[in-house]
Amino acid sequence: MNARPVYLHGAATSVGWGDSRRSLTDMIFATVTDALRQSDAHMDAVDSVVIAAHDLIDGRSLSSMVTAPAAGSYLKDEMRVDEDGLVAASFAAARIEAGEARLSVVAAWGRASEGAPDSVSRVGFDPAFEKPLGLQELDISAVRLSAWLARYGDPGDSRAAATAARSMRAGRSPRALRVPSRDSVLAYPLRQAEGPKWADIVVAMIIGAAPSPVRVGGVGHATDLPRPGERDLVGMPALRQSAEMALRGSARGIDSIDLFEIDGMTLVEEALALESLGLAAPGHAFEHYALAENVNRAGGSAAAWCYPAMGLMRLAECFHQLSGTAGATQLDTAPRRAMAIGSSPLGAQTHTAVVLERA
Amino acid sequence: MKDVHMPNDVELITIPGNWNFDYRYFAGETASRFFAELKNSRRIMGTRCGKCRRLLVPARTFCEACYVETVSWEPVGEEGTLEVFTIVAAAFPGMPPPPFVIGYVTLDGADTSIANFIKGVDLSDIHAAGKSLLSRPRVRTVFSAEVQGRITDFHFELI
Amino acid sequence: MSRRAAVVGVGQTQYRRRHSGRNTAELVREAVTAALTDAQMDLDAIGLVVGGVAPDALAGIDHVDMGSIARPGIPYFRVNTGGATGSSAFLAGLTWIAAGRCDAVLVVAVERMGHAVTAPKVFNSIFDPIYERDISLSTLSMVALRATMMIQKYGYTLEQWAHLAARNSELSLLNDTLESPRRFSAGDVLSSGVISWPIHKLEIGPVSEGACAMVIAAENRVGSRPAAWIRGASGLSDTYEMGSRISRAEGALVDVVTLRRCAAQAYRDAGVVDPAKEVDMVEIHAACASSESMGYAPLGICAPADGPRFLDSIVDGTARIAVNPSAGAQAANPVSATAMIRIAECALQIRGRAGRRQVDGIRLAVATGQGGATQFSTAVVLGAEPS
Repeated sequence: MNARPVYLHGAATSVGWGDSRRSLTDMIFATVTDALRQSDAHMDAVDSVVIAAHDLIDGRSLSSMVTAPAAGSYLKDEMRVDEDGLVAASFAAARIEAGEARLSVVAAWGRASEGAPDSVSRVGFDPAFEKPLGLQELDISAVRLSAWLARYGDPGDSRAAATAARSMRAGRSPRALRVPSRDSVLAYPLRQAEGPKWADIVVAMIIGAAPSPVRVGGVGHATDLPRPGERDLVGMPALRQSAEMALRGSARGIDSIDLFEIDGMTLVEEALALESLGLAAPGHAFEHYALAENVNRAGGSAAAWCYPAMGLMRLAECFHQLSGTAGATQLDTAPRRAMAIGSSPLGAQTHTAVVLERA
Repeated sequence: MKDVHMPNDVELITIPGNWNFDYRYFAGETASRFFAELKNSRRIMGTRCGKCRRLLVPARTFCEACYVETVSWEPVGEEGTLEVFTIVAAAFPGMPPPPFVIGYVTLDGADTSIANFIKGVDLSDIHAAGKSLLSRPRVRTVFSAEVQGRITDFHFELI
Repeated sequence: MSRRAAVVGVGQTQYRRRHSGRNTAELVREAVTAALTDAQMDLDAIGLVVGGVAPDALAGIDHVDMGSIARPGIPYFRVNTGGATGSSAFLAGLTWIAAGRCDAVLVVAVERMGHAVTAPKVFNSIFDPIYERDISLSTLSMVALRATMMIQKYGYTLEQWAHLAARNSELSLLNDTLESPRRFSAGDVLSSGVISWPIHKLEIGPVSEGACAMVIAAENRVGSRPAAWIRGASGLSDTYEMGSRISRAEGALVDVVTLRRCAAQAYRDAGVVDPAKEVDMVEIHAACASSESMGYAPLGICAPADGPRFLDSIVDGTARIAVNPSAGAQAANPVSATAMIRIAECALQIRGRAGRRQVDGIRLAVATGQGGATQFSTAVVLGAEPS
């Protein structure tokens, strides 16, 4: 059967840190309102709201109960995924493909200044076997990097070059946090500048059945083994599988993608993704990342980071690039096709990939 | 799982854990002003939606129904109607000692109701107290002697 | 719906206060294996797994689903809409099929609330931290606040709810998913003590752990499998603010506007014109007797003013419709799974696989889900025929 095409109408991102003038719901309302304005759409016409939010990040034990109305759920068909924001976008697209909705709000947020996401990540580990070790999410990044280093050896200056490139791109992005926020304690062999720039982030997009210049070309989801210790942390097979599935949907190869926006909590995931996708030769992740102009143009997690907003933020960056509204990070030649990749907690057990293309 | 190597009387382990994370909830400008009005002027304020014209109490930045920002601040009366209530009669960890009454009150002039404790009700007989409160009685706002800019700066009492 | 689909497999663990002998993955595996067996399918036929886990704090493990429900190699995501999580997961899986993204979906919900030593604290921390958390609200006081309005508006009595609770406890003895069903009389309820007036202790569903799994298949994958066809399915959300819902034009707080509207939508999709005459069975997701009765009128099985009389007809056995033949969430209420169990019970009845609780002649059944501040509603209509 032929699924109905899905178009993107607009996107809005707000990035900040500890702005006490606004409550979380105020931020959500303002950003969704902005996305509607960018899309020339009105809430009255919206018939679907899909949000990605996490209770512990939000400090509200049933987040969507308090937060969903701020995204426009009033007497509407609203769904909350407890997942990365790119899953919300994929699900909202499925509703439109199914003919269940014509115009959907997609929103995702994380307000790192309100809580303690590093501590929160510690309780995601198995209480019998892993939690007693005091692990946090970032430690998986460190293990991932050490596994890569063990396999390929010290990459020399390329790690620093990748870090510098990332930071330069983040510095250029209009959607980056420019004030000091919070530093995480990074485990060896991670370096401080390879970590995430914690931020308060709300991303909202409007997608629908009505034609617009940018449409969804394909969607892919994939799942890895549950325990980080069982996984191929270097190869990230689920990332590759999600991308392959999205490309199959769009009936084009990876060569057709002009821009990659890849969520990773640290530089390590962002760079190793390039090997997983086959864009960089094994052992050359950081080198490729430093030189590639079409990867994480907005600086990735160095610009702003808080789960679970990130996959949707990457999709918004793709949308801006395709529609020529990316600002200072705009590629000289506006890309025709872009891929956003998002991931879930505990070392990216699941990945989501979405291909966008100019209609 | 049945296994000859596994003794039937294996002790089932429970591992203690806790779940405490610190947050600082940003009330934002709207709720901050609402609390400032409580603390400094001892009055309850609402915000009006310019579309449906409802006066929302407590004050809201935006109207969830119309999805527009509210447009003006207005005080509401000190008296109102107790719409719905419950008498919490059992002890729960982290909660005040029972019995106590929680209710939603529509203050005069407001179009929505606000939750708070209802005090001064004779709770010696829970059922009798419950039946007496079903009549949607009138209540009055009573401010605490010490206000700190929180919702618990006031409660309601039967008139 | 753009593509016909059916429930072809149901699997449940037993529901009990604590499953101390098994970890979460083991519980899930039991339900999933049973559902796949019932569906005569292998995991490799499954194109999507949807997980349902409500507040992480109840299990005390963040993302407890990732190590228990998510399957390597199969697309996976989790939904969380509080008490409606299980039915929301079902709706999400159905959307995937309707979109043509795959032909068979496994939906799984699991509850580990036995881990929570202080569950009421968790249930307080769901409320708005700025305006309402300090008022010591809880999920139970939300139910009780509504119950006072049902007395005011429709004249329900505490005795009626006690009788309904006792009737459900009687039914629970037939439900083999319950490890230790509790049987009690209306007198027992009324003397069990008031937890939050007008709610008595014995009319509240117990703390429950367990897992429920279902297989949903597109029409082309149903084949000769015993099927409960999904005739209508709808979900709707509302404002969080209870104080804005007490008496608005769309309906009063206890008229549950969201449930009324999504039931109407599901009936339209199912071609049901008069549910009071056409529907054979309802499974109403309600953890207390009073909230069960709040669901009757929105489902169109009685007029709003007739609610108390309809309740009496359920208690005395004269109601035409089978109401909660499983004994409902008052017998077992595993928060994350409870709304999925309501759909599973309808599917079992339609497929004639409900064991000792089987009711004869169930051809059309409706299941509800409620979550958040009774603000997320779902309605699913299942039928013995595809249309």
